Amino acid sequence: MICGFCHREIPEETPEKGCGRCGGGCRKVHCPYCGYENPLPSPLLERLLGRKEKKK
Amino acid sequence: MKCAVENPVQADQNLRRIFLVGNPNVGKSVLFNALTGAYTTVSNYPGTSVEVFRGTCEIHGVRYEVLDTPGMYSLLPITEEERVARDMLLNERPDVVLHVIDARNIERMLPMTLQLIEAGLPVILVVNILDEAERLGLRFDLHLLEEKLGIPVVGAAVRRRRGLKEIRAAIVGFDPSQKAVFGYAVDLERDISRVTSCLSGQYGLDARAMALLLMQRDESLTELVRSVEKDNFAVVEGAINEIAFDRRVDLHLRISLERKRVCKGVLEGVISEDGQRAIDWAGKLSELTMNPWTGVPLLLLVLYFGLYQFVGNFGAGTIVDFLEGGLFEKNLNPWFIDFCRTYLPWNWLFELLAGEYGIFTLGVRYAVAIVLPIVGTFFIAFSVIEDSGYFPRLAMLVDRVFKQIGLNGRAVIPIVLGFGCDTMATIVTRTLETRRERLIATLLLALAIPCSAQLGVILGLLSAVPGALVIWGGSMAGLFLFIGFLSARLMPGEKPMFYMEIPPMRLPQPRNVLVKTLTRMQWYFLEIFPLFILASVILWAGKMTGALQWLVEVMQPVMRLLGLPGQTAAAFIFGFFRRDFGAAGLYDLQTKGILSPAQLTVAAVTLTLFVPCVAQFLIMKKERGWKASLAIFAVVTLLAFSVGFGLNRLLLLTGVPG
Repeated sequence: MICGFCHREIPEETPEKGCGRCGGGCRKVHCPYCGYENPLPSPLLERLLGRKEKKK
Repeated sequence: MKCAVENPVQADQNLRRIFLVGNPNVGKSVLFNALTGAYTTVSNYPGTSVEVFRGTCEIHGVRYEVLDTPGMYSLLPITEEERVARDMLLNERPDVVLHVIDARNIERMLPMTLQLIEAGLPVILVVNILDEAERLGLRFDLHLLEEKLGIPVVGAAVRRRRGLKEIRAAIVGFDPSQKAVFGYAVDLERDISRVTSCLSGQYGLDARAMALLLMQRDESLTELVRSVEKDNFAVVEGAINEIAFDRRVDLHLRISLERKRVCKGVLEGVISEDGQRAIDWAGKLSELTMNPWTGVPLLLLVLYFGLYQFVGNFGAGTIVDFLEGGLFEKNLNPWFIDFCRTYLPWNWLFELLAGEYGIFTLGVRYAVAIVLPIVGTFFIAFSVIEDSGYFPRLAMLVDRVFKQIGLNGRAVIPIVLGFGCDTMATIVTRTLETRRERLIATLLLALAIPCSAQLGVILGLLSAVPGALVIWGGSMAGLFLFIGFLSARLMPGEKPMFYMEIPPMRLPQPRNVLVKTLTRMQWYFLEIFPLFILASVILWAGKMTGALQWLVEVMQPVMRLLGLPGQTAAAFIFGFFRRDFGAAGLYDLQTKGILSPAQLTVAAVTLTLFVPCVAQFLIMKKERGWKASLAIFAVVTLLAFSVGFGLNRLLLLTGVPG
C-alpha cells in the first residue's frame, strides 16, 4: 500500500490503528513515516470490485 | 522453500556475502534474481516475520551468498522491515553491500549511500533504472560521482540486463580499503567528535556513524550502546543530552538536512538535463504549487472548483435538494408520519419514530439526505487531491506561513491531517518534539480546523451565501494566525526547520479514487449512522423529559448575545455529539428560512470554533491529560462565543452579508 500523503510504501504488516472510538475499528492504516491515515477497503468492497480475484 | 519463524535459514559462514540494500521498488529483487538465478531460499529473519531472500552465485570462480534485504529508506529504522535490514548490516558483516538506487530519484536516495559509507560498510553504488532516467532527458557523469563518493559506482538498467557485467566486475575487483569522509558543518563535526570520543566499545558500524545515529535518537542502538558501554553509558548519554540542549534544534532534522546539503554538492556536475527534453508538466506544476506567489492562487482555485463548486454547489445543492427536499420532505417523511399517526396509538412512540427529533424524521434524514451526499462529494474531491500528490505540496506551502508566525514547520502535518479528522490529527501531534508544540497544535486543531465532515456540511451550508463563506474562511484563518502569532511570542527560540520528501505529482487513477471514496463513505456511514440514531433518541428523551427545553433555555441568553434565534441552541447541543451533526442542524434551520445571512454566518463561525466533538475531547484528555484538555475546552468555548459576539456586532454595523 502506498501512503496517500507522502507516497512511501507502507509495509504490509503495519497494523490498523485507530483512536479506539469506533466499535468495529476504523479500518485505517497509519503511515509509519508521516502518520497519515490511509483507508483500507473492506473485504466486501474488494470482493464487489473483484480485486481479490485479480490478486489470486 | 519457506521456513517458519522458529526455523530460520542459517547463513553459510564460508561464503563471501553480498547484501542488496535500498528503498523499496528500486530493482533490488530483479538484481537478486539476475545474480542468483532461480535457486533461492526464503526465510524469516530470526524472531520476526520479515522475509529475507538468500541465494548463491559464482563470479569469476568465487562463490558468494547474496541476500536481498527488506526495503529501507535510511539506517535509522522506523518500521520492522527497516529494523531487520539495518540489523542484518550491523550483525552479519557483509563483504560487499550493493546499494541499489533509482536514477530518476538519485538526489532523494543518495543520503542513504552517504550513511552506508559513513557506517564503514563496503559499498558499491548501483544507479539503476538508468534507461528510464535517460528517456526523461537526464544524463549522468558516473565517473565523476565515483570520484566524489570514493566508492565504485555502476550504472544499470537491470530489468534490461544492462550493467550486470559491470556489477559483477565491481564485486570481484572491490577494494574495501578505499574510504571517503564527508565533512559536515563545523558545529556538527564538533558534536560528532565529542560523542565518538565518549564511545569505548566495539560495534558493527564506524564510531562516526554510531555517533550520528545516537544523536538522531536511534532507540535500538541506544540500548545496544547502553549494554556495551555499561558504566560509561552515562557519559555518552550526558554528552548527547548536552548537545541537544545547546543546539536547541532537532538533531535528527539537522543531520538529515546537512546530509542533503552534502549530497547536493556531490551531485553538482554529475547530473545534466538534455536540452531536447520535453517539458515535464508535472514538475512545473509541482514547483508552481509550492511557490507562494503561484501556490496561493492555485490553492484558491482548488478550493473554488474542488470544494465550493463541486461539494458546495453540486453535493450540497443539487444532490441534497433532490434527496432532502424531493425524496424525504415531499415523499418519505409525509408518508411515514401518516403511517405512524394511523398505526401508533402511543404519542411517545410516535415522537420517537416520526416526531421532531424522531429516529426516521431526524436521524435517518440527517445521515442519509444531508450529510452523506455532502461528505460523499467531499471524499471524491479529497481522494482526487490526495492521489495527485497535492497534500505534501500544500504542507510545504503552508509551512512558509507557519514559519512567519513562529510555529514549528512539523506542526504542518497534524494540522493538514486535521482537515480529514481532528481526532486522528490530535493523536499525530505525538510526532512533535516538545510538550509546548504539542499543546499549541492540539489547541489549534480543537479551535480553528474543521474536520472533513464538518467542512463539507459548512461549505454546503454557506455556498448559498458567498459573502458568508468569505467571512467564515477569513475568521478561521485570522484566528488561526492570531493564535499562531501568540504562540510565537510564547515560544521564543531559533528559527524552526522543516523538511519532507515531495513525491512526484501524478494523474489520479479513477479506479483508485472510486475505491478510496467508497471505502471512506462506507466507513463514515457505518460510523455515523448509529450515532445519528443515538443522538436523535437522546434528543427525543430530552424533549419528552423537558431536559432539552431546559438546556435550550439555559443557552438562550448566549444565543441572544450572538444575535441568533433560540432554535439555534439545539444545533450547538447537536454539535457536541458530532461536529457535522451540529452543522446539519444549522442546515435544517437555514432551509426552513429561520436564519438570515448574517445569522447564518455568525452561527457557522461560532459552531466551527466551538468545542470539538466528544471523540476529540476524549482523545485530547488521553493525550494531554485532564488539566490541559479542560483548559483547551474553556479557551475554545470562550473564544468561540467571543468571536461570535464580536462578529455579530460587526455584521450588524456593516450590514454584510446582505
